Amino acid sequence: MLRRLIIFIFCFLLGLVLGLGGPWVWWLDREAGQRFAERQWTQNSRVFARPLELYNGRVISLDDLLVELDAAGIRPGHPGQVGRFSQRGQALDIHLPGFVFADGPQPAIRIGLGVVDGRVQGLARADSGNAGLVRVPPAELGALLPIDDSERTLVALADFPPLLVAGVQAVEDRSFKHHRGLDPRGLMRAAWTNFRHGQVVQGGSTITQQLVKNLFLSPDRSLVRKFNEAVMALSLERRYDKALILEAYLNEVYLGQDGPNAIHGFGRASEYYFGLPIQALAPEQIALLIGMVRGASWYHPVRNPERALSRRDRVLDMFLETGLIDAATHADSRGRSLDVNIQRQRRDQRYGAFLDLVARQLRQDYRERDLSGTGLRVHTTLSPSAQRRAERALTEGLVKVERQPGELQGAIILLEPASGEIRALVGDRQPDRRGFNRALDARRQVGSVIKPFVYLLALAQPDRFHLVSTLRDAPLSIPVAGSEPWQPRNYDGASHGDVALMEALARSLNQATVALGLEVGLTPLFRLLRQLGVEPGKDPHPSAFLGAIDLSPLQVAQLYQPLAAEGYNTALRAINQVTDAGGSELARYPMRIRPIRDREALALLDFALREAVTSGTAASLSWRLPADIGARGKTGTTNDRRDAWFVGYTRDWLGVVWTGRDDNAPAAISGSATALPIWAELFSGLPVSSGARPWPEGIDWYWIDWPSPLLASEDCAGARALPFIADSQPGLYSACMNAADPPSGNRRWWQR
Amino acid sequence: MIAFRSLILALAVLTLLAACATTQAPAPVEDRSQAGHRSPVEEVRASAPEEAGGLQVFPLRNPAVDELIRGAEQAESVGDLDRAAVLLERAIRIEPRDPELLQNMAEIRLAQSDWEQAEAQASRSFDVGPRVGELCQRNWRTIALARERTGRHEDAHRARERLQACRVEPPPRF
Repeated sequence: MLRRLIIFIFCFLLGLVLGLGGPWVWWLDREAGQRFAERQWTQNSRVFARPLELYNGRVISLDDLLVELDAAGIRPGHPGQVGRFSQRGQALDIHLPGFVFADGPQPAIRIGLGVVDGRVQGLARADSGNAGLVRVPPAELGALLPIDDSERTLVALADFPPLLVAGVQAVEDRSFKHHRGLDPRGLMRAAWTNFRHGQVVQGGSTITQQLVKNLFLSPDRSLVRKFNEAVMALSLERRYDKALILEAYLNEVYLGQDGPNAIHGFGRASEYYFGLPIQALAPEQIALLIGMVRGASWYHPVRNPERALSRRDRVLDMFLETGLIDAATHADSRGRSLDVNIQRQRRDQRYGAFLDLVARQLRQDYRERDLSGTGLRVHTTLSPSAQRRAERALTEGLVKVERQPGELQGAIILLEPASGEIRALVGDRQPDRRGFNRALDARRQVGSVIKPFVYLLALAQPDRFHLVSTLRDAPLSIPVAGSEPWQPRNYDGASHGDVALMEALARSLNQATVALGLEVGLTPLFRLLRQLGVEPGKDPHPSAFLGAIDLSPLQVAQLYQPLAAEGYNTALRAINQVTDAGGSELARYPMRIRPIRDREALALLDFALREAVTSGTAASLSWRLPADIGARGKTGTTNDRRDAWFVGYTRDWLGVVWTGRDDNAPAAISGSATALPIWAELFSGLPVSSGARPWPEGIDWYWIDWPSPLLASEDCAGARALPFIADSQPGLYSACMNAADPPSGNRRWWQR
Repeated sequence: MIAFRSLILALAVLTLLAACATTQAPAPVEDRSQAGHRSPVEEVRASAPEEAGGLQVFPLRNPAVDELIRGAEQAESVGDLDRAAVLLERAIRIEPRDPELLQNMAEIRLAQSDWEQAEAQASRSFDVGPRVGELCQRNWRTIALARERTGRHEDAHRARERLQACRVEPPPRF
């Protein structure tokens, strides 16, 4: 009877186990396979600077090159190691990490070069000696809109250092290559070791089991979970190959917290703890991270340094035991300190203002959902060295001119005019502070910065105006519907009578400019601004001729771009290309240019803005700059000295500087005394190429009895050679001309 | 840049010489019958050597962009115009005023039927280029074609006229 009962109970339990357990195992198996296949780590969209191109003759200062290397994560050290460089005087030996560029990958290479007189020389590869053109991998500027609470930098298995891949196996799961997900012998060994030490010093879980636990299961320790873990581990091993499992593990393993965010994977951990890409880690650094797998918080190198150090040394011992490192390396590594360099602040902060613009330009083309979490790689136009210079110029410049510390704010935009690519952007005098981005969002009156466009409209009518047309600088009163008549005054309070058009612009005379503005019209001015890509608002008041229009520094930069780019308009860009996490192209933002119709008028305007720098309101540039860099520019100061602007350009760069108070109160500042010195400080450090601006066809040069609109000859006292759109030159001769010596007319520029 | 300075010098000398020339040699008339069989890019390039008899100016080039140009040519030869454009853009970023690079880019745009950019890049190439010789002819032939394709026949006609002026006879040598 009892026996039958026992048999019955046994059969019942067996049936229960088979009936419930069978489907349960089947379900676990299916689940593990599916979920592993579908797993998609949310990965931050990563943003990169423009890569620095190196070639012989490239203009760059040694300081800037070092800034670029630092930004790219390449540190001083032994260049035998990837990601390190050494310096001897002006000679550098650099081991560049590999990078997948838009037009193909560049493997890690070691190069040597010198910087002599501000130019790269003797560029050579350590392997072949030959190097025409080499790119420094771009600096990573930060991540876009992180949405979840984990941080990852995915790394492909092949890109992990071999010591890390082998080391993880040596420490965590020595028979990983051979087992099928579970390792009974390892389990036994662990149990024995733990028994001997009287505490848990070794885990018996295989790498596969740990991965399963991390990916799918809750962290509680129970028999049911152990069972599930084992089934799913067997299942993964049956379905996927070892390399895939190991790669997933290396990218998934938990390695600590960065504030509220969990750090997953060795890629991100390397960046967080050492500020280095994983490929650049030394053996003792790899050992530290591997040691932390056992307990990222227990072995935390900052909170528990002693425990971390002894764990690291234990890992180094295991490296030696398994033959991964030799005795010399082992001794050397053990002798080193922990040397962590936590990059608590993600780089987003540093380049926050620029990333702001990148995010806005991306949002025009992508949905928010696609932008975050899918691991886009955004290749931008920023130059870290130019950015550094711009930040310093603003911060230090404001300190020099403000009445009380912290009173003034400012913004800088720096770009390459021909391509419209933005190289630097500063939106706050404290560049790492996030918040109001003045470069994009401060809409302030532009003052005289608008004047060149009034003059451009005039010069585009060569039958009416040229550079020596006479303008009247005198008091004037303009009736305005519904309010008092408007009576513009000059900056110095005086009126200057008859002046040449070019002089009126160079000296920024208000009354002469308004008189000219009334000739060319307010509607055409607004139409021109719109054509150049800027919306000036809807309220056309004649004070707009003097810049009573609110624009952001970015908009001002857009207005001046075609002027600086010799007559070719292009949209300002912060992004070159967007790829997915694997490097395939999703979007490209190519250089697109549009010729401005009145390129001749633009060339004359350029000449006049050169005059502003040599003898007008911006004349102080000549002593503020170390050399003549061929600058052209325009100052701007608004009513009650609330805003100070300087917009200036050379053949290579266009820079906009704005300063003022956030509350828009009078600040006792001016374009020439406040904004211009900041611009000069920035531009005195930028690389310059020499050479003259090409004149468009259809420009002729004439000797003029300056400042009268009369033809003269070279021999006349004070005569100047000026450019004219063909057939627009004055028709009258100066009295200094001898009737017996008629002007030769139509003299071309080399005859000046 | 040294290259640019010597280009300017070459230009100055040339323009001087051009001013000395009293008569302009008649330029050969376009063979329109053939144009229909060629792709636009072929038309721009192929007719150039026929007219290469005049004075030529070859600006010095930054050797660093050579490998990019070769890469672009190779990509173009296998029909990968996108890649050719990417490589040329990289080269132009290094040398923004190299007229040859800009004209090459114009021709890639032509092959991509991007008429607007073909015209704009060719026009920029002309502005910064020697404004005589073969490059000048390629500039204006590109501009003319782009204008024709966008239905601006009068503008295209003006471009063909300007094309004739690219040919400058070399000064007699003694």
